[in-house]
Amino acid sequence: MTETLTLLTGGATVGAPRWLHPGAWWIWALGLGAAATRTTNPLLLGLIVAVATLVVSARRPQAQWAGAFGVFVRIALVVIVIRVVFAMLFGVRIGATELFALPTVGLPEWMAGVTLGGPVTAEMLYIAVIQGAQLATLLICVGAANSLASPVRLLKALPAGLYHVGVACVVALSLAPRIMVNVRRVMLARRMRGRPTRGLRAAAQAAVPVLESSLDDAINLAAAMDTRGYGRATATTARERALQATLVLAGLVGIALGLYAVLGASGWGWLLLGLGVVMAVAGIAVAGRRIPRTRYRPDPWGLPETLTAGSGVLAAIAVMVFATTSLTVPLSWPTLPPVAVAAILLAASPAVLTPSPPLPWRTS
Amino acid sequence: MSQLHAVPLRARTLGALAGVSAVGVIAFFWPFVVAPTSIAADHATDAPWFFALLLPLVVAVLLAEVSGGGADAKGVAMLAVLAAVATAVRPLGAGVAGLEPMFVVLLLGGRALGPAFGFALGSLAMFTSALLTAGVGPWLPFQMMAAGWFAMAAGLLPQLRGRAEIAMLMAYGAVASLLYGFLMNLSFWPWALGQGSELSFVAGAPLAENLGRWVTFNIATSLGWDIPRAILTATLTLLAGPVLLRAVRRATRRAAFDVPVRFETVESVTSERA
Amino acid sequence: MISFEDVSFTHDGAQSAILRDVDLTIPEGDLTLVIGRTGSGKSTFLNLINGLVPHFTGGTLRGRVTVAGMDTRTHPPRDLAGSVGTVGQSPRAGFTTDTVEDELAYTMESLGFAPDVMRRRVEETLDLLGLTTLRRRSLDTLSGGEQQRVAIGSALTAGPSVLVLDEPTSALDPAAAEEVLAAVHRLVHDLAITVVMAEHRLERVIEFADHVVRLDGPLRLEEPAQAMRGHGLQPPVVRLGHALGWDPVPLSVRSARRLAQDLRHSQPTAPARRPAGKQVADVMSATVRFGQITALADVGVRLNRGQITALMGRNGAGKSTLISLLTGSRRPQIGQARVGGTDPADLQGRQLLERIAYVPQDPTDLFYTDTVAQECADADADTGFPPGSAWNRLTALVETVDPRTHPRDLSAGQQLALALAIQLSAATDLILLDEPTRGLDYPGKAVFGQWLQDLADAGSSVLVATHDVELVAVIADRVIVLADGEVVTDTDVRSALTSSPTFAPQIHKVLAPLPVLTVEEACLL
Repeated sequence: MTETLTLLTGGATVGAPRWLHPGAWWIWALGLGAAATRTTNPLLLGLIVAVATLVVSARRPQAQWAGAFGVFVRIALVVIVIRVVFAMLFGVRIGATELFALPTVGLPEWMAGVTLGGPVTAEMLYIAVIQGAQLATLLICVGAANSLASPVRLLKALPAGLYHVGVACVVALSLAPRIMVNVRRVMLARRMRGRPTRGLRAAAQAAVPVLESSLDDAINLAAAMDTRGYGRATATTARERALQATLVLAGLVGIALGLYAVLGASGWGWLLLGLGVVMAVAGIAVAGRRIPRTRYRPDPWGLPETLTAGSGVLAAIAVMVFATTSLTVPLSWPTLPPVAVAAILLAASPAVLTPSPPLPWRTS
Repeated sequence: MSQLHAVPLRARTLGALAGVSAVGVIAFFWPFVVAPTSIAADHATDAPWFFALLLPLVVAVLLAEVSGGGADAKGVAMLAVLAAVATAVRPLGAGVAGLEPMFVVLLLGGRALGPAFGFALGSLAMFTSALLTAGVGPWLPFQMMAAGWFAMAAGLLPQLRGRAEIAMLMAYGAVASLLYGFLMNLSFWPWALGQGSELSFVAGAPLAENLGRWVTFNIATSLGWDIPRAILTATLTLLAGPVLLRAVRRATRRAAFDVPVRFETVESVTSERA
Repeated sequence: MISFEDVSFTHDGAQSAILRDVDLTIPEGDLTLVIGRTGSGKSTFLNLINGLVPHFTGGTLRGRVTVAGMDTRTHPPRDLAGSVGTVGQSPRAGFTTDTVEDELAYTMESLGFAPDVMRRRVEETLDLLGLTTLRRRSLDTLSGGEQQRVAIGSALTAGPSVLVLDEPTSALDPAAAEEVLAAVHRLVHDLAITVVMAEHRLERVIEFADHVVRLDGPLRLEEPAQAMRGHGLQPPVVRLGHALGWDPVPLSVRSARRLAQDLRHSQPTAPARRPAGKQVADVMSATVRFGQITALADVGVRLNRGQITALMGRNGAGKSTLISLLTGSRRPQIGQARVGGTDPADLQGRQLLERIAYVPQDPTDLFYTDTVAQECADADADTGFPPGSAWNRLTALVETVDPRTHPRDLSAGQQLALALAIQLSAATDLILLDEPTRGLDYPGKAVFGQWLQDLADAGSSVLVATHDVELVAVIADRVIVLADGEVVTDTDVRSALTSSPTFAPQIHKVLAPLPVLTVEEACLL
């Protein structure tokens, strides 16, 4: 499939293999996902899933985390099933096409006086499936981002203000698999002391050597980071520090008040919320100025990145403008709005217009 | 013995913790306060997505504040390693979400290293375990917030020692892991049901009515998992808590977080800094 | 380059100083070796140079340490990072990124180097340390020697004038150690970097040193030959020189060979080692595969009572896998393992304890409590021996241990003793040890070797997986060499060690072709 597409485009922009900027994949996926939340058209939802699947199969790297897509597809299916079951048990009885009836059970007053069961109609089921499918499509898009964008490269692209957290994340990600190996090793050693290796008590005791050696590692790591210049900060004035603290705190207060106002349907809520977000972002940016750190070979943002992110955003806009629908009873047959279909199809272009990911290094 | 703070609890750190928690409370509890005329009531299934995009920003603000402003290499390394341990033991948990061993690590980390460190540890551990299993989804920001609270509160509990401390941590572990389950349900309650089912929240309805619906939703969905999880967390705390807590405290002593550095010249003491 | 002016250092809360009145200057462009027994303060000495002592550890520093013109009192480690490169004991524990290239660039990123400078320095360092083919590799897939070279490289990229190395070869097999030392040698000679190195394995490093600082001797710069006089920390070739009264004492095999010309013509009277007793364990044509990788291919090994067998081979050759078959923690896909006639994988609890004792690479894997006394009491409960048995075994091995000590606070030698004490019951048939001599100095190793010899004399069968040829030369009766999952050598220790250049001990290298392995044997000539 991929080869065919590459042949068709003559390998136009498929340059040397490199990592696409992880941010581009996330924007693309969230764009497609946003499109899915706007439409109840099953044909469009299906098209979005198909596009996401195509791009994942074409550009998924050979890495362990790239297997996430399948997991997300399974979660998506579970979401639809849950939606349908809940609709049958607790749903509001609408529509005239009764399929079958469930026995009704009245729950006590303190449980909101809910009635379980009742007649099940085709309309109810259809609405539940479509609402579930909206969520499922969004999850599949997020799953696509999970298996296309390298988590470590995403962390490297964090803004300077989040540098310290990023370091902690990268270290934790590379340590965790080793700790899992340690757990197994300690369990084997435990057997040699003539003790059982199963059960809660075994797990609790095995945790001791694992945690102790991990904590020793932490101290060694901290010493190593210290001798390698970690935490070196450029001199800041008290005013700069005060500015940063003010931005952060005022931003948080703004966000909280703004949210509260929006929930209370006050008009100025959005303004306050927006202001809060801007200040919080500025706070992170100011914090980043204290860190003199530079970056070694950052992922570039080039034409493929712009195209990828742009195609996702375009799909979202097209669906919002031309294909926003909601569910109404009686049901009607879905139609295919041409602009939205074209925009979603365009979002498949990263399958060929992006460089392929580099092959992993193989052990001999 | 006083509480150790691997991340110094300065006024601005406290302020940031409070601000982020306020946003978090709204992100979880909005169905109870939303006005029927609010845009959020019309878009009940979209609102969680909005919060899922907003929460990472405020958590990022807090993590930048905690890790950049107060912690040194020791604090960040300790944060990284404990997050790695929590991530590594997560798959050992029983059941669907399987969080018990991870909760014990977060509980002890927050307990031994202070509330600000605890919040950072809880949210970071959720984040790294999601990255490692490529499980970055809309639930993640809510999990990060709830796990952050979980570990932070462990650091805020009274400073008991010995058996009383373990008993307190067991009780806290059980209650808090139940609450964690309820909070996570609350976060996807509007999302999973939409509006118009018997269990959906009704914007502007009396608090008691919405609470009743939420409790029923909890019972219908996850109580069967939440209760065993609470018992398991308490049992693990009992079995592993004492010796693990000593291990973490021993390591924090070895890491010399607040050991003074002194310089002497041959003649006299010249300077001292803590 | 580095000067210590009347330096003493006391840990916070400690009664006495760990280092006292150090007053010396380390000249630019030299390799200085820091030696001393375990616990003599080698790491403290090194960390005084990079500022971790006292800024990271806390404690009281008296006097002044100056490095490249900077006073460490006013320059914390992160400010010294551009001038002092540091490689700690375990390189893997210090890695902050996930690939070779990123790791090399890390220090420069922290210090805010310009992107083009970083790019150039990384390329230079890759070439300098022979890491070019590894550049995109994940750090976890590297061998120990490669990890150590990456760690050295990442300390170098920021262009320091001083490099501090804490036991850079102690965890490595002989070939990997040579790789690393060749790289260090090149840094000193070609780039004029001042290297300060602590190392227990003097036989590997003493010939490269320009000066030696003895921490439990006179605290000053000494010539290596002078520093090797009259104390317990001597590599075999030096001990041979002393025993035979050679002057000056040779430091390298090459100079010793010149002095030993006459000796090589004598008739050896090599004493016999312990004879093989009854067979206790048996691995029969075992094959173990992990996915695509074959860890063991049709391996057959028999172990007998009353003998010490050394299991040697490169890292990844299958040593640990073979041991896991004998402990029963794994069953081979083809073939089988037997200990005392039963499949060890079927053994559990006391049955297992009675037959097999196992000391893992990291003995602390066996410790679950926080005092030595508790650990011993638990061991007695496990074995069913009367209370105090494990404690008595422990005190028979090491005299002075405080029962309230945390097992992790014991020295490496004491940890080995505790692991042996809780694993050994009266009639243990088979004793398995995985890389036990890490972190032991020469006297510690001699004591440990004696324990194993006593156990073998008492009738146990001992299998030691190790890289330490000098230890093998002294204690082993038989050597099995694994390569790529296959047994390539299985014979008595003398023929095994005298027929291979990689596994030849120093004394044999000096006296080849005579089949002499140890100083004691050489003295009989």
